Amino acid sequence: MRQTMPVRLGAAEDTLIAQLKSVGADATAERITVAGLPTRRVESYHYTDLKTLLRSIPPLAQAANEASAPALRVPGAYQLMIANGVIQSASTAPAGVIVGKAAGGVLTTRDDVLVHLNGAFARESLTLTLENSVDPVIQIDRRSEGEAAHVADSLKVFVADGASAVILETFSGSDAAHVGNHATYMVLGKNAVVTHITIDLSPRSASHFASNEYHVGEGAKLRTLVIHAGAGLARTQLFPRYEGAGAHGDITGLNLVVDGQHADITMDASHAVPHTSSQPLFKSVARGRGKAVVQGKLVVARDAQKTDAKFMHQGLMLSDEAEILSKPELEIYADDVVCGHGSTCGKLDEDSMFYLTSRGIPKDQAETMLVRGFIEELVDPIEDEALAEALHGIVDGWLLGK
Amino acid sequence: MTTPILEIRNLHARIEEREILKGVNLTIPAGQVHAVMGRNGSGKSTLSYVLAGKEDYEVTEGEILLNGENILEMEPAERAVAGIFLAFQYPIEIPGVATMTFLKAAMNAQRKARGEGELSTPDFMRAVKEAGAQLNIDADMLKRPLNVGFSGGEKKRAEILQMALLKPTLCVLDETDSGLDIDALQVVSKGVNALRADNRSMLVITHYQRLLNHIVPDVVHVFSDGRIVESGDKDLALQLEAKGYADFDGAAA
Ligand SMILES: Nc1ncnc2c1ncn2[C@@H]1O[C@H](COP(=O)(O)OP(=O)(O)O)[C@@H](O)[C@H]1O
Ligand SMILES: [Mg+2]
Repeated sequence: MRQTMPVRLGAAEDTLIAQLKSVGADATAERITVAGLPTRRVESYHYTDLKTLLRSIPPLAQAANEASAPALRVPGAYQLMIANGVIQSASTAPAGVIVGKAAGGVLTTRDDVLVHLNGAFARESLTLTLENSVDPVIQIDRRSEGEAAHVADSLKVFVADGASAVILETFSGSDAAHVGNHATYMVLGKNAVVTHITIDLSPRSASHFASNEYHVGEGAKLRTLVIHAGAGLARTQLFPRYEGAGAHGDITGLNLVVDGQHADITMDASHAVPHTSSQPLFKSVARGRGKAVVQGKLVVARDAQKTDAKFMHQGLMLSDEAEILSKPELEIYADDVVCGHGSTCGKLDEDSMFYLTSRGIPKDQAETMLVRGFIEELVDPIEDEALAEALHGIVDGWLLGK
Repeated sequence: MTTPILEIRNLHARIEEREILKGVNLTIPAGQVHAVMGRNGSGKSTLSYVLAGKEDYEVTEGEILLNGENILEMEPAERAVAGIFLAFQYPIEIPGVATMTFLKAAMNAQRKARGEGELSTPDFMRAVKEAGAQLNIDADMLKRPLNVGFSGGEKKRAEILQMALLKPTLCVLDETDSGLDIDALQVVSKGVNALRADNRSMLVITHYQRLLNHIVPDVVHVFSDGRIVESGDKDLALQLEAKGYADFDGAAA
C-alpha cells in the first residue's frame, strides 16, 4: 500500500490554513494542508519557490482608516480606490462607465495556489462596465494600508464591443510587510481595444501577487504592461485567452530588481480558436543580487490553426551577481501555426557606453540613458502622454535608486 | 612658441597582447588640419580610439598632450570635456534614445563639467536648428533614435552635427568619407570646413585622397604598421594616390 508522506508545513502555511478556515474555505485549506505552498518542484513555480520565499503571512486585512500618499497620479485620470480589499466610494464616473460591486472573487478556478487564495479571501469585487470608448485613463488605486496585512482584492472589467479604454492599476501602501493577492478579470468584446497597465509600487517589505485573466474576443486588441518596481517579492500571472478570430495580444512586462528583490512574470496564454495572434515581449533589468524571472507559455488548441505567436524575453544585467531567468514553453496541438520563442541576456554594450561617454556624458548618466533606451520599446506604444510621462518617471525613479 | 593643440610622443598601444601602435609621433599646431592616410589595418582607427580613451586599448609607452596637458589618465568623458571629439568611422546605434535627447544630454554634461549653467530649451533648439540647417538635418531625423536606421550619409552628418554643437578644440575624423556618395561628401565637407578655426585643430583620417580635395589639409602623414612613415604637404596625398602605399611603406601591395 502506498502512503503519501504529509509535507512539513511552515509558519506561513499554518497561518494560511487558519485564515482559510476562518473564512470557511475548507477545500483550499485542505489543499494547502496536503500539498503546502508550491516549491521549485512545481513546474510553474520552479524559479519562485513560495515555500522558501514566503516565510510568514500577516493577519487578514481590516478596513483601512488611513491612507498613505498616492504612489502615482496621472493628470486627467478617473480614479477608483480599493483599500485593504474594501472598495471606496468614487467620484462620478465618466460617460459610458458603470461602476458596481459584486460579492466574492472573479477568477476562473485553475490549479494555482494564488488563484485559490484570492478566491477564498476576496470578499467583494469592483466591477466596471465600459459601454463605449472611454477617453480618460481609468486608474484603479489598490492599497495595502496600516499595519502589515494580508490583503486580497478583486476587479472585473467588461469592455463592450467596439469600445476602447486605457486601464491603469497601481499597487502601493504603507511601509509594512503586507502580502497582497490581487485579481483582475477582463473581458474584451468584439473589436474592443484595451491597454491594461499594472504597476507594483509596494514597499520593499511587502510581497505582491497578482493574477490577471483576459478573455479577448473576435478582432479585439489587448496591450498589457506589467511593471514590477516595488515589492521585495513580486509575481504577476497573466492568463490571456484568445477566443475569437483576429484577437490579438501585445502582452508586455518589465521586471526592475535591485539587490535582494525577486520579481516574476509568468504568462500562460491560450490560443483557443483559429486566426489569433500574440506578441509577448518582456524585459528584465537586474542590479546587485536581484533576481528576475519570466516564464511564458503558449498553448495552441488543436483547431487553432493560423495562430501567430512569439514569446520574447530580453534581460539586462547591471551586475555580475544579478540573475535573470527565462522559461519559454510551447504547447502546440495545431499543425498550421507560426509560434516561437527567444530570449537574450547581456550587460550594457561597451561600444555604446564608449560612444556616449566620448561625447562628455558621465558614465552613470550614460548607463541610465542606455537602460532607459532598453526599456523604451515597452513605454513607447503608450499613447496617452501624461501616462507615458508617469511611466518614464517610474523608470527614472528606479534608475536613480529611489 | 605657442603650445600645439595636440602632441603625441612615441605612442605605443596594444589590444589583447597585440601591439598596434608602434611609436607614433605627431604634432598639430592650433588652427591646422592634418591628414593621416594609410592602408586598411595599419592602425588608424586604433589611433583615434586611443585619443578618445577607449578602454580596450592599453597604452604601454609614450604620451598624448592636449594643449600641453597629458590626457592618458582621463576617462573618455573627461577627454571630451577637455576638448577632444571623435567622429566615428562606424557611429553606434542607440535604440530608444532620441537623437535630440542625446544631443541635449551631451551639451549639458559638458557645460556642467565646465561649471556653466544648463542651456535653456529655446537656446538649445536654436543651436540645433542652425547647425542642422547647414547639414540638411531636419527635426524629423532628430526625433528618431540615435543613429538607428540612419543611412550611411545620415550617420556621418549626425556626427558632424554633434561636432558643431560641442565645439571641440581637437576634431578627430575617422574615415568620415566612407560610405558617402559625392553629394553627401560635399555636405559633410562643407560642415567640417565651416568648423575650421584658429583655435581648433583637426586630424582627418582617410583611406582615399578624395576627401582631401574637399577638406584641404595643411600637412599629410602616411601611416603604416602603427607609425607615421612620411609627412609632407597636400601633394603627398596625390603622390600616394598615384603610386600606391607600397612606395612609402615598403610592403608589398
Ligand atoms: N578588438 C581588436 N582585437 C584585436 N585586434 C584588433 C582589434 N581591433 C583592431 N584590431 C587589429 O588592429 C589592427 C589595426 O586596426 P585598425 O586600427 O582598425 O586599422 P585601420 O583603421 O587603419 O583600418 C588590425 O590588424 C586589426 O585587425
Ligand atoms: Mg579604420
